[in-house]
Amino acid sequence: MKRNDLILIIVILVLTFGFVIYSGFRQSRRVVDHPMAVVTVDGVEYGRYPLDEDRNERIELENGAYNVLTISNGEAYISEASCRDQICVHHFHTHYAGDTIVCLPNKVVVEIVGGEEDDIDAATH
Amino acid sequence: MNKTKGISIIVIIGLIVLILLAQSGKLFGGKAATEEPEMQHYTATFLDIFDTRTEIVGFATNEDEFRKQADIVKERLVFYNNLYDIYNDYEGVNNIKTINDNAGIAPVEVDDEIIALLKFSKEMYDETDGRVNVAMGSVLSIWHEYREYGSENPERAALPKLEELQAAAEHTNIEDLIIDEDAHTVYLADPEMSLDVGSTGKGFACQRVMDYCREQGMDHLLLSLGGNISGIGTRYDGTPFRVAIQNPDMDSDEEYIEKLDLEDGQCVVSSGDYQRYYVVDDKVYCHIINPDTLFPADTFAAVSILTKDSGEADALSTALYTMSLEDGMAFVNGRDDIEAMWVFHDGKKVYSDHFEESTVK
Repeated sequence: MKRNDLILIIVILVLTFGFVIYSGFRQSRRVVDHPMAVVTVDGVEYGRYPLDEDRNERIELENGAYNVLTISNGEAYISEASCRDQICVHHFHTHYAGDTIVCLPNKVVVEIVGGEEDDIDAATH
Repeated sequence: MNKTKGISIIVIIGLIVLILLAQSGKLFGGKAATEEPEMQHYTATFLDIFDTRTEIVGFATNEDEFRKQADIVKERLVFYNNLYDIYNDYEGVNNIKTINDNAGIAPVEVDDEIIALLKFSKEMYDETDGRVNVAMGSVLSIWHEYREYGSENPERAALPKLEELQAAAEHTNIEDLIIDEDAHTVYLADPEMSLDVGSTGKGFACQRVMDYCREQGMDHLLLSLGGNISGIGTRYDGTPFRVAIQNPDMDSDEEYIEKLDLEDGQCVVSSGDYQRYYVVDDKVYCHIINPDTLFPADTFAAVSILTKDSGEADALSTALYTMSLEDGMAFVNGRDDIEAMWVFHDGKKVYSDHFEESTVK
């Protein structure tokens, strides 16, 4: 075996383990507590925003409608929306895994993924 | 070409394969999934059925397996959505709107699931002394128009005139709803009359879909069809499904006013004035119309029903919402399979005799 072969093998080994560690890390991060607000518009993912960073995200729809997602103190809520029923704006602030805020007219869903779970499976409304 | 060179080429190729595996996540993820197929908790949310929000809660070892279950449920729900729709036409389907369009003209041949819903709705009419009346479409459509207009144009929101409502109420006789089971037809004998299955359709569909899922052998399943909640079995770990009842006071810090543990097959439904309503001169007018006054009911902030049949739960929550507390209490306590909770606008809660046996303390 030549010296160059050896170097090549070592480089590939390092790359392989780098990938293995990185992908393992990425996967564990997906399940481990790192609550995110995942926004979908008409079933298509629009964006994901960590709950530990305060922000105002204006979700713009093609037809000019919008919802403003506010994250503050680890909780997510819709602070403003163009829809006429305003049910999403009246919805309670949320931070438990699986909680959703829905704006039916705009077909916008904010779902909390990861983080602390509460003890309920569904709610009447 | 010598031997060592061949070996190093093989080693390099092997390592490249390893990289590809690692990158696709199969090296770790695949192993973990096959070694311990742990049951996970999944939720699917749809916004395109019954003009409301549908949630399916289930358990599966992976997302694809759960999707399959959820898709079966969704397909059934879409079937009922199209049949029970009063506003839209669907190609090749005779639905409730088709029946309304043919009022006073001709009987319409319909699917047996429409016949089943309308027969059930007539039973509910008898059981509630007419407080659940699917033949009230003429009155409800007036309110629907005013509510839509008032929501779009809050500064010009108005109430319909009583005379207009009374004239429409002349055409709400449930006896003019003629069901011919042998011919599979439905006919509205009064041309001015129309059906509105808002008080029974969703709940009845929810029950039928859950019955179907049970026949298919599904277990550990919870369906929320716009707040009509119905369960099969328990959670996978054997603990009961836990359902929260939303606080009708949206300004409160408390999101829920009660939590219930559901036995197998139990259903919960709430009716209230905090989701579908409009405002005229600072007063809230909800979508549930009292058949006596022809105006929106306003005694309670919400009424919740707990029973074994989702269709009945849906119909009775609407009926109780328009009754006095005394009448409603007598009705519920006269039946041993129905429990109810009334919530007043000041937050006061009143329970039927055995409702609290299901609440989480």
